[in-house]
Amino acid sequence: MKIISCIKPVPDPASRLIINETKTWIRDQDLTFVASEADNYALEEALRLKEKHGGEVVVLSMGGEEAARVLRSGLAMGADRAIHLLDPKFKGADEFSAAATLAKAIEKDGGADLVLAGVQSDDLGTGMTGTMIAEFLGCAHATVVVGVEANPEGKSIRAKRELEGGINETVELPMPAVLTIQFGINQPRYASLKGIMAAKKKDFKAWSAADLGLSDDSAGKAGAMYEVKEVFVPERKSKVEIIGGTPEEAAATLVEKLRKEAKVL
Amino acid sequence: MIFVIAEHKDNKLKPITAELLVFAQRVGREFAQPVTAVVLGSDTAVLADELKSKKINRVVTIEAPQLSDYNPDIYVEALKALFQNEKPFLVLAGHTTQGMDFAPRLSVSMRRPLIAGCVEYEKQGDRLLLTRQIFNAKISMKTAVRGEAPYFATASPGAFPGDEVEAGGSAEISAFPVSLSPGRRKVVERVEAPKWKADLTSAPIIVSGGRGMKEKQNFNLVFELAEAMGASVGASRPVVDAEWLPREYQIGSSGQTVSPKLYIAIGISGAIQHLVGMQTSRCIVAINKDPEAPIFKVAHYGIVEDLFKVVPALTKIFKDLKPA
Repeated sequence: MKIISCIKPVPDPASRLIINETKTWIRDQDLTFVASEADNYALEEALRLKEKHGGEVVVLSMGGEEAARVLRSGLAMGADRAIHLLDPKFKGADEFSAAATLAKAIEKDGGADLVLAGVQSDDLGTGMTGTMIAEFLGCAHATVVVGVEANPEGKSIRAKRELEGGINETVELPMPAVLTIQFGINQPRYASLKGIMAAKKKDFKAWSAADLGLSDDSAGKAGAMYEVKEVFVPERKSKVEIIGGTPEEAAATLVEKLRKEAKVL
Repeated sequence: MIFVIAEHKDNKLKPITAELLVFAQRVGREFAQPVTAVVLGSDTAVLADELKSKKINRVVTIEAPQLSDYNPDIYVEALKALFQNEKPFLVLAGHTTQGMDFAPRLSVSMRRPLIAGCVEYEKQGDRLLLTRQIFNAKISMKTAVRGEAPYFATASPGAFPGDEVEAGGSAEISAFPVSLSPGRRKVVERVEAPKWKADLTSAPIIVSGGRGMKEKQNFNLVFELAEAMGASVGASRPVVDAEWLPREYQIGSSGQTVSPKLYIAIGISGAIQHLVGMQTSRCIVAINKDPEAPIFKVAHYGIVEDLFKVVPALTKIFKDLKPA
């Protein structure tokens, strides 16, 4: 079974986020990038499926040096090879143009039995790119997946989806298929030293927009379906009362207020 | 025309549907666009009647035996056929596991924009601007769609007040006839919500811990405070994913929805998925050292401090209060 696992590089969640000068994104030049958390769960699931059924795991990412970095981590975790979509034309992509580009790369690589992606990214967090890839590829998909059972001989896959309110639904899909993987489906492994050393010898391709046969108006910002007017820190609608003082004073004041003002104790 | 894709379960409209109708009615008034509700299913009569009672222009039903279960392939096929016929301005679905299962495919299939997870809208001249939350609700992003309508959007649950939906309409109900494929995806099993062992839905006080607890063993601090207060313990999703606590403690969209008189959130940043599970609590206290954490937006009282200092101090107060 051939599995392609998509990884998005995002600012380290511990980063302090500052809006950039044009107010269109955050200032990300100096930030450290890591793999988006849900994509780690997706890659771990891909590696487990390969261990069970054989085949290969290809990691795929789009971006500059930050993408190369998450791909190298993916190889160190155990992926067999990496595809880096590297071109200034890819910059400023929205979910639509990112999905179009990723789908082109998957097709150029000869397709896959299974494409995995995290349920949502830690930055935009809208959870649409994986599903959009499925539509571009014209294959079946399932979102918010918390369990995967593959049947490579029967060319089908069973995916357990997590719905609202604790309901789970198991669906069966024909392969090829795209799955978006929910947080917590597994415990992602750490790269071993051996894995890190082995990663250096693994196949690592870089493809540009021209390599993918993408026209200038379909990649990155030019291919985006919406423009960003402004990013801003949302105003606090609630009138939260911040209680100051030393930790002991704050604790005492809080208990007093809960008892006398809010009357909930 | 603005279209709302109704979400339903067990022959009842889900709360998100009323929220979408409010969103549609408000945008519709500003852009002079009538509202149509679309309901897909194997038997839509009861649902269509309920939708008809709202102040909207029209209800369109799409019925087929294979729609007895939600199916993304069939939804995309049917809705694409409808919208190629109708020329909508805006199409709204829920930012839910269902809405986000078909709306991205529909957007790609029609090569039209989708703005997902909207919390606000704005009219700027003739343009519709939609705002959504990014970076776990720490930052908002205002977007303008490009090109011709239709535009697709999903609304974040809780962003629009469903109880403010205007009633008193006299919408006509019409069926949209379309022949549909069986769909590639098949539901083989559905397991309803488990009976929670730690039933938090009736707990009067909940002390809840999040990723800020840093390690499993630190959760003792949460349990100690809860014990001193006579409260129940809850957790946010990352805690459960890291296996610090079993799934039954999880509060939020994929866990339990609670509304106690007092909810104390410790080291919880307040992802939207958590907020929808606790924001109706009568009194919310947030203890978090990050003043930008979204939890402070729903909190009534906040302490911006190191939880490892504040929580033991609180526990001590409640222990001292107890008669020896």
